[in-house]
Amino acid sequence: MIPTEASLLARAQDGDIDAFEELSGAYADRLYMLLLRLLGDREEAGEVAQEVMVRAWRGITRFQGRSSYFTWLYRIAVNEANRALAKRERQPPSVPLGPQELDLPASPTDDPARQAENNELRRALAAALAMLPPPLRTAIVLRDVEGFSTQQAAEIAGVSPAAFKSRLHQARLQVRAAIGDDALIAVGG
Amino acid sequence: MGYADDHQWSQRHLSHYVEGDLSRRARRRLDRHARDCADCGHGLRALRALVYAVQGLDGLGGVRAPASIFDQVRLAAAGGPPPDA
Repeated sequence: MIPTEASLLARAQDGDIDAFEELSGAYADRLYMLLLRLLGDREEAGEVAQEVMVRAWRGITRFQGRSSYFTWLYRIAVNEANRALAKRERQPPSVPLGPQELDLPASPTDDPARQAENNELRRALAAALAMLPPPLRTAIVLRDVEGFSTQQAAEIAGVSPAAFKSRLHQARLQVRAAIGDDALIAVGG
Repeated sequence: MGYADDHQWSQRHLSHYVEGDLSRRARRRLDRHARDCADCGHGLRALRALVYAVQGLDGLGGVRAPASIFDQVRLAAAGGPPPDA
């Protein structure tokens, strides 16, 4: 029988590391991708991901199920990413998040000129996201890239929905200003 | 409220509009203004394109977490169960 998340959680809270690994392992890839987007550096994302797991393990007995386990784990990841970014003294990622760095697939179009234009926009977007202050980057990554609802994204970011929306709108405005309306409309409009 | 007021207000609320966060009344106000204002119409198209493009960055399907992701927690667990377990 495949153990349920609830049974894995109960076992993990009783100190079963195998259960913890199975429980958290289901979200490991997605969590790592989030860290990669927020930090823009594979090595650092890997190190922070390990720290997230340690913190989750140490705190798992305090998890009371008020949010989903996934949301709780993601919130730890966002906090740890912000802590790592603060350590860099607010410097942007040394390696910008870009299609090449992250092995993003090429945009799906048969027209080479259009594809080049799309890829150029994607690179510019990734660079603009990397330049955002961490709270704004977190907002746009959670809402627009990861596709969370505002409510869930706010919960993960640890702020009220109103504060989250304010950050999201600021983030979009800053990225829009960095890319330029004409470039956005030419490719996406 | 004049055109200038509407324009400033609309520029501040373009992202809210795209997000669907405006009340029906506020949405109508922005709709009305954007019909006559090339700048705001342009801004709306740009923001929609931006959100669409950022969503398109979500193409990391092949990225896997490193196998080492549980190394540190295994070491921590070897030292004992989590507090209060």
